[in-house]
Amino acid sequence: MSDAETSSDMALGATRELRSAVRRSLVQAALPIALLMLLLGFAIVDVRVLSPANLMNIAQQTGYLALFAMAQTVVILTRGFDLSLGPTVSAVSVGAALAMASGTSAHQGPSVILLLGLGAGFVLGAACGLFNGSVVALLGVNPFVATLGSYNIAIGIATTISGGRPVQGVPDVFTQLFYGGTLFGVPAVVIIALILGVILHIVLTRSVFGRSLYLIGTNPRAAMVAGLPVKRILVTTYLLCSGIAALGALMLTARTGSGEPNLGGSLSLQATAAAVIGGTSLAGGKGGVGTAVLGALFVTILSNGMNLVRIDGYVQMVVLGAIVIAGVVLDRARLEQR
Amino acid sequence: MSSAVAAYPRLERHPGFGLLGRLGILPALLLAVVIGMSAADPHFYGPINILNILRNTAFLTIVAFGQSLVIIGGGFDLSVGAIVALASVVAAKAMAGLGASVPGQDATIIAGGVAAGLGCGLAAGIVNGLCVAKLRVTGFVVTLGTMSAVTGLGLMLTNGIPVYGMPDSFVKGFGRAQLLGLPTAVYAALLILALMIFVQRRTLFGRYNYAIGGNVEAAVVSGVSIGWHVIAAYAVSGLLAAATGLLLTAQVGSGQASFGGDRMMLQSIAAAVIGGVSLRGGVGRVEIVAISALFLSILSNAVNLLHIDSRIQPIILGLIMVVAVALDEASRRRKARV
Repeated sequence: MSDAETSSDMALGATRELRSAVRRSLVQAALPIALLMLLLGFAIVDVRVLSPANLMNIAQQTGYLALFAMAQTVVILTRGFDLSLGPTVSAVSVGAALAMASGTSAHQGPSVILLLGLGAGFVLGAACGLFNGSVVALLGVNPFVATLGSYNIAIGIATTISGGRPVQGVPDVFTQLFYGGTLFGVPAVVIIALILGVILHIVLTRSVFGRSLYLIGTNPRAAMVAGLPVKRILVTTYLLCSGIAALGALMLTARTGSGEPNLGGSLSLQATAAAVIGGTSLAGGKGGVGTAVLGALFVTILSNGMNLVRIDGYVQMVVLGAIVIAGVVLDRARLEQR
Repeated sequence: MSSAVAAYPRLERHPGFGLLGRLGILPALLLAVVIGMSAADPHFYGPINILNILRNTAFLTIVAFGQSLVIIGGGFDLSVGAIVALASVVAAKAMAGLGASVPGQDATIIAGGVAAGLGCGLAAGIVNGLCVAKLRVTGFVVTLGTMSAVTGLGLMLTNGIPVYGMPDSFVKGFGRAQLLGLPTAVYAALLILALMIFVQRRTLFGRYNYAIGGNVEAAVVSGVSIGWHVIAAYAVSGLLAAATGLLLTAQVGSGQASFGGDRMMLQSIAAAVIGGVSLRGGVGRVEIVAISALFLSILSNAVNLLHIDSRIQPIILGLIMVVAVALDEASRRRKARV
């Protein structure tokens, strides 16, 4: 009898274990499953969702958002935050367009003009990152306030140097290369996002710098005690974030064909939403390239599908808001399983 | 150095120092702007301009009071700007609707509109609080979600078109009315200020709010029921944002989904933070937040009067915010070292 009892106990334990394992993997796989169901659901309403042209469109949109989500993820990993990401994008767009326009009017060759644009863009991006990083790491200001400050500053810079109007004079070669350019039929932005994603993934998972970001996010005091140069790492992190944002800004500028002083608009929040939905934890130390890309894919498919089945843009905002909260609740569930 | 450290605690015991220390550099900045502006432009102290400043201050302070309450409790409310807009639109729609069904009964119409506006602000606040307290999601993400959803709702209801049709007595008799030369909004702000001071210092809710923001674990151990107090803080914030929405609606004479918005949200955080509310929670006083809101309103008024390019305004605001918080952080560190 005792034998039967133990065996039934064991069986019970095994089924319980199995059940919890199934539940665990279900929660972990919830986002990819939701993605597939979303795509299929939209496809039932309108089959054009799955047309090659639209899939390419989704890939391209995801490329842009993934770049910004990766930028935001890098700082979130350290318990930081970059509210100024959107305005930085605007400032970089305007600055690069102005530099290229002045290069054109000075009758420079196309390669010089391109270099001028890229240089101006990345210098502006680096300046924003350096400001954020220094204020956060060296002055010890809360990242939210520090980047709320630079949010305002970057908006001011973008609108001042552009006069509040779109900056014309972006050369065709820039647009052709970064927007029209393809490799084996894959648009430039997808390729750039892929390359950057791979490099960033290796940096985050295989380098001392990358691992220290996770440690700082998980336990800043431990990182300090372990002798990590926390301040220097944080400054570098904000630089990296703004650098990636600048890259995304240049790609977007190529798409619009002009420097737009409000290109960044709601990008700070969109990038955060993508990162958080993907599973990046705002408490720091959790997330990576995968979560950023997954979240960007989800947000893009959602808005693309809603556009195709003609859901009103205002309703889309409500849906996105609900999805952000749902994503974090899911993240909570994942955390509690550990 | 040791003498300076030794002198510090003695200074703090000095009767005047406590208040001065709490106020920080804010009064000095305020005084500098007022004196500088009075010398630079006589229009600055003209009665029309002063009324204008006071009215803007009133709108900002009421939102900032709610924001401060939430931040003191360790949270964050990004949705206040969106709630201002939704309350404005809902109240205007309700009044227009009631005006058509029961024409002439202004009291009923106004009461219905005000109740609808405040009700939706309260509801949004309760949703925020419930998500934070029951789902244990950080306030930042929850209110990021509700900000998007509430903004979408406001636009959905109106398609972005202003809502007219409110009774004259609401606009002329309340919103644009003046009592002893001051606009009604100023009285509303003063009344709410008095209420907030009472709530923060004399009620259990106010004290528990500080306790929760200061140290959640200690509050739990002391037997504070965290959930209800967190929900109440967000509910008050939503309610106050809705009140501002109503005051703006009465002042302008139409309900608009463009009221409030990101700008109001960021300014309310700026007012709270410059007013000494710590983003780490547990620290802050509403009367200093009111002074800080006055300072911000005077600052943007001054920049307008001086014909400084409005595009540079955000740069100035951003820099001042970062400097104010950095100074606050530096003084905190000095105290911590003692």
